[in-house]
Amino acid sequence: MPLRILADLGQLKQIRSYVTQTATALGARAEVLEDLRLAVDEAAINILTHGYGGCGRIELEVAAAGKDLVVTLRDEAPAFDPTLAPPAELRLPGERDAAGGFGVYLMHSGMDEITHQPLEDGNELTMIKRDAIAGG
Amino acid sequence: MSQDLEIGMSREDGDKAVTVMRLKGSLDANTQSELEDKAREAVSAGAEYLILDMSAVEYLGSAGMRAIHAVANLLSPEDPSMRSAYLKVFNPSPAAEKVFKTLGFDSFIDIHENIDEAIAAL
Repeated sequence: MPLRILADLGQLKQIRSYVTQTATALGARAEVLEDLRLAVDEAAINILTHGYGGCGRIELEVAAAGKDLVVTLRDEAPAFDPTLAPPAELRLPGERDAAGGFGVYLMHSGMDEITHQPLEDGNELTMIKRDAIAGG
Repeated sequence: MSQDLEIGMSREDGDKAVTVMRLKGSLDANTQSELEDKAREAVSAGAEYLILDMSAVEYLGSAGMRAIHAVANLLSPEDPSMRSAYLKVFNPSPAAEKVFKTLGFDSFIDIHENIDEAIAAL
């Protein structure tokens, strides 16, 4: 069952808990849970901060497709495609500039496929983790 | 103040002004300012070196790493070196260590096994 939530950054922990519980119930291997939590957390932050500017509705679904796990986030924010964000510049943090691009980098490093689909009144972000189901 | 991150503070005896910050919980976009605020308090109180105990960090996201970056800069605003001499980390949880290394922060901030090793490296 999807999680539908009116969220701000204060709900990130609840969103991560939903991912962990749902993926575990679907049979996800323990070692992929952190990648899933990270990717969803960073995606939700993007939606809340860049899409809504703070607070808005998010629908989150975690589903199994064979041995893969498919995570879908839908929102009602203006169009925003994180997959088009510039590649992370992993400059050494010792530089004075504020570090940037880490969130999108973590999303891509932990997931095998990320696609963005603009909706009539929002966005749909789909992230796939291959071979995530134990013994599936 | 959220309930998601607890930060315990203690000063270490010795020649150097070292403060240990013991983080427990989630260091994410919702709590990053708490780490930065506590670090500023410690520096205002005279701390020159900070050591982060990350053994009880259940979740570390990119916002948490930006906070750690900000703390490193806070401790050495004039130091252009690429390796922090003033901020050390010890015994990170597997979740924290994974993010630390994925983003390459271990090339900038030393990760130690325990507090004694971290203090000795200052």
